[in-house]
Amino acid sequence: MDGRIISSLIVVLILFSPGCLSTDESSELDSTDSNIELTVWHSFAAESKEQATFESRIEAFMSSNPGVEVKISAIPYPEADQQFMIAAQGGEAPDIVRLSSDQLGKIGDIRVGGQPLLEDLRLHLTPIERSKFDPRALNAMKYEGDLLGIPASQDCLSLLFNPILFDAAGVDYPNENWTLNDMLLAASTLTSGDVNGLALPVKDAYWWFGFQAGFGGSLFDENGTPTLNSNGSSDSMDWMLDLELEHGVVQTGTNIESMKTQFLSSKTAMIIDGPWNWVTYEAGRIPLQQTLLPIVSDTGERIAPLVTYKGWSVSKQSLNKEWSTKLALFLSSSEVQKEFAIETYTMPTHIDLYDDSDISDNIVISGFLEQLMQGTPAPTTRAMALVYDPLGTAFENVYTGEMTSSEALFLANQALESDLERI
Amino acid sequence: MKRGLIVILSFILLLPIYHASEISTLEADGDIGYRQVGLIWSTDSPTEEGTIFEIWISNETIIETANATKHSQVMVGNVSGISQPVMGEWYDDCQYNFGDTEWIPVHRDLDGTAVVPPGTIGVNCTLTGIPSGTEIHLAVLLVNPSNESILSPSISSSSTSSDEEIIVIETSPYIFAIGSIALSIMILLFMLRWMDYREGRTTSRFAHIYIAPAILALSVLTFYPVLYGIWLSFTNADQSHLGDQSFIGIENFITVISTSGFFRVTGFTLLWSVVNVAAHIGFGLLLAMALNSDDLRGRSAYRTALLLPWAIPSYISVLVWRGLYEPAGALNDFLGTDLNLLADPNGARIVVILVNIWLGIPFMMMSISGALQALPKDMYEAAEVDGINKFSRFFYLTLPNLKSALVPLSLLGFIWTFNMFNVIYLMTDGGPNLDFDGPGSTDILITYVYDVAFRDGSYGVAAAWSVVIFLMLVVFSWTYMKKTNATEAVT
Repeated sequence: MDGRIISSLIVVLILFSPGCLSTDESSELDSTDSNIELTVWHSFAAESKEQATFESRIEAFMSSNPGVEVKISAIPYPEADQQFMIAAQGGEAPDIVRLSSDQLGKIGDIRVGGQPLLEDLRLHLTPIERSKFDPRALNAMKYEGDLLGIPASQDCLSLLFNPILFDAAGVDYPNENWTLNDMLLAASTLTSGDVNGLALPVKDAYWWFGFQAGFGGSLFDENGTPTLNSNGSSDSMDWMLDLELEHGVVQTGTNIESMKTQFLSSKTAMIIDGPWNWVTYEAGRIPLQQTLLPIVSDTGERIAPLVTYKGWSVSKQSLNKEWSTKLALFLSSSEVQKEFAIETYTMPTHIDLYDDSDISDNIVISGFLEQLMQGTPAPTTRAMALVYDPLGTAFENVYTGEMTSSEALFLANQALESDLERI
Repeated sequence: MKRGLIVILSFILLLPIYHASEISTLEADGDIGYRQVGLIWSTDSPTEEGTIFEIWISNETIIETANATKHSQVMVGNVSGISQPVMGEWYDDCQYNFGDTEWIPVHRDLDGTAVVPPGTIGVNCTLTGIPSGTEIHLAVLLVNPSNESILSPSISSSSTSSDEEIIVIETSPYIFAIGSIALSIMILLFMLRWMDYREGRTTSRFAHIYIAPAILALSVLTFYPVLYGIWLSFTNADQSHLGDQSFIGIENFITVISTSGFFRVTGFTLLWSVVNVAAHIGFGLLLAMALNSDDLRGRSAYRTALLLPWAIPSYISVLVWRGLYEPAGALNDFLGTDLNLLADPNGARIVVILVNIWLGIPFMMMSISGALQALPKDMYEAAEVDGINKFSRFFYLTLPNLKSALVPLSLLGFIWTFNMFNVIYLMTDGGPNLDFDGPGSTDILITYVYDVAFRDGSYGVAAAWSVVIFLMLVVFSWTYMKKTNATEAVT
C-alpha cells in the first residue's frame, strides 16, 4: 500500500511541479540552418490537383535546401483562421499558414499574450521582391499597415455557361457586351422543364457584392464607414432575389453546393462561379465556356465581383522566420504560381505572369484574369470580416418577405456600425 | 591654334555645369531593427531628373554588379502629383534631403518605386529583407540621365538586431491549478479514509484508494473546466483579450439577459426539449410495448430495423434528412411541390424537431423495452383473471411499474435534448436568421453559445450563457426530482 501511495504522490507531484518551476519566457529565436524544421498548414482540398502540385513544390524546396524539413498539414479552408487562432493561443501555431485576405481581416486584431498572431513581412521582403507582385494583391495582404502575407493567388466570380444547352435552345452565347437584361432574357428562354437558365445562391452576400457594385452601391465609403443602405444596394438585392422569387430562372433554394450539382448534371445553362470549380466541371465532362459578367443597363457599370486573395503568412510564434519567409516567397514565386495556374486554373498574382504567353494563350486563365481586372478588391479590414453576418440576416428577411430590401439593409448597416463600435 | 585654345578653355569652364553627380559618402547602420540595415548616401552635387540610384547587395565585396543582387532603387524625377506616404506607412522607409539636415519622406510612384525630386543630395533608406546576423556588402550604383553608371565603393554591414522576444504562451498557471486540485483531492481522500477507518464506517483500508483515480479524473476533466468556465464568465475574455483578461463583475450576465432574443431562444429551447422528450418517451413506449407483445413475429427483425437511426452516426443521418428537405430533395420530388421548409422559420423549427424525434426514439425504445421485460408476468395474468381490460392494465399496472425507469430516462433525455448541438448545427445552423442582433429562428441555447464563442469570439459572454444554461438545468433537475420523487423511485 505504501508503494501505491508513494506512486500516487509522485504522479501528483509531476502534475504539480511544472506550475512551481519558473519558465523562461523567451525562446531561442533562430535555429541553425543545418537542421530546420518548418510546419506548413495548407487548405487545398484533399486529393485535389492543388494539393498534388503543392506537395511536389514542397518536395522541390526541400531538395534544393537539404537542411530544411517541411511538415505539411491540411486544414479546412473556411476554418483556417479559427484553427490558426486556437493553435496560436496554445503556442502551437505552424510556421506558415495559407490564409485569404478576408481571413487576415478577421485575425489582424487578435492578440495572444499581447502579441499579434502573424509576422509583419515588410521587414522580410526587399523592395525588388515586393515589386514582383500585383500591387492590388500585395495591398490586400496588408492589415492596418502590416504586410501579413505574400499573395499567391486571386479569385473572383465570373459567368460560365454550357454551350450545348444554349445551342439546344437556339440562344446566342453570352458575350462581354451583354447587359443584365440580356442575361435575364436568355435565362428565361433557357428555363424549361427541369433545366434552369441560371444558377447562383441568391441569398449569399459574396455573390451579391458584384451586383451591388454594378448597381452603383458600395460596402464602405473612403473612410471605411459602412454604406450598405443605398439605392444601388437595395436595387441589386431585389434584382438578385427576384431571379428566384419572381422570374423563377434560378431553382428554389439554390445554394453553393446545389448550384454546382445543377451545372454538373446539365440542369442549368449558366452559372456564376469562380475558377476554383473549373477543374471539377472539366472532370465531369461538362462543356463550358467563360465570359465577363454583364453590364447593368441603368448605370452602365459592369458587375464587379469581389476579388479576394490567398497567400502565405508567417506565424509570429515561428522560431525560423527567415526560413519561413523564404518558403513563403518560394510558394508564391513566379514558377510555382505558373505551375498552379496551368495545372489548376489558380489565378496568379505575379505581374510577370500577366504577360507570359503560356498564361495569356490559355483562354480560361486569361478570361478569368480579365474578369479579375474588372473586379473590386475586398478591403482587408475587420469591418469586411463582420459584414457577412448582418447581410445574411438582411437577405433572410427580404427572402421571407419580412422586410423590404431598404428596411433590411438599413438595419444591417446599423448592426454593422454597432458591431464596429463594440470592437 | 587659337580656336583649339578657345575650345579647351570653354570645356574647362563648362565642366562644372555638366559635371555628373557621384556618390560622395556612403554609410550603413546595422543596428536599426531586425532584418534591416540603414543606408545613407549623398552625392557630391545636386542630382538631375532621370538619375537612378540602384542599391546592390552581396555576401562579398561588390566590385561590379554581376556578383550582386539588386535590392531596390530610388529614382530622381518630377514628384508633383505622386503620393508621399508618411514614415511607417509604406512597406519600407526612405527619406531625402537637399544637402541640409531636414529629411523629407520620399514619394512613391504607381508601382511603389521611391521617387525624389531633382536637386536631391542625401538619401536615407531603411533596407529591409537583410539576412539577420550575417555580414553583407552594399553598394549604390548611380545611373546618370545619360545612362552612365558609376558604382560606389562597397561597404559592409550586418543586421545585428535580433527578432523581438517571442512570448511563449504561459501554461504553467493551468498546470499549477490542475496539480493543486489533484493534490487537494488526494489529501481529502486520505483524510476521509482516516476518519472512516477511525469511526468504523469501513473496514477496508483500500476503499478510498480505489476511487481515487475516478475522483482525480473527474476533478481534472469535469470540475476544473466547469470552475474555469464560471470564472471566465466574470471576465472580459475574448479573442483579443485571451490570456490577459480581467474581472468585470456581472457585465456578461447583463449582456446575456439583455440580448434581444434571450426569451425567444430560451422559449424555443424549452419547446424543443419538451416536445422531443415527450415524443421520445411516447413513441419509445409504444414501440417497446409492441415489441414486447407475445403475438409479435419477427421481433428481432423489427428491433434491428428500429435501432437503425441509433446505429448510424447522427451527423450522417442528419445530413441525409437535410438533403431530403431541401427544395431539390426527395420530399418535394415525392409530393410534386416546391417547398423550401428550411428557409421558413416555422417550417425549419418543425423539421429540426421531427428529425431529432426520429433520432431519439430508438434509445428510449430500447431502455423502456428492457424495463418492460423486467415486469412480472404473473401480475398481468392476475389482472386478466380479474377481468381488467388492456387500457386499465396499461394505466394502473404498466405505467406505475415503469416509473422507476421513466423518471430518470425523461430527466436524462431532457438534459441531453436541451444540450443537443449537432442536429440544429447540421440541419439549419440556427437559421433562418431574422434577428440582426440575436439568435436565429432555430437556434437553441447551446447552438447560440457556439456562435457567441466561436463566431463573435466573445468567450466571456459565451461562458456566461453556459452558466445560465447550467443553472437552468440544475433548477429543472432539482424541481423534477422533488416533484416526481425520482430518487425514491430509483432506490
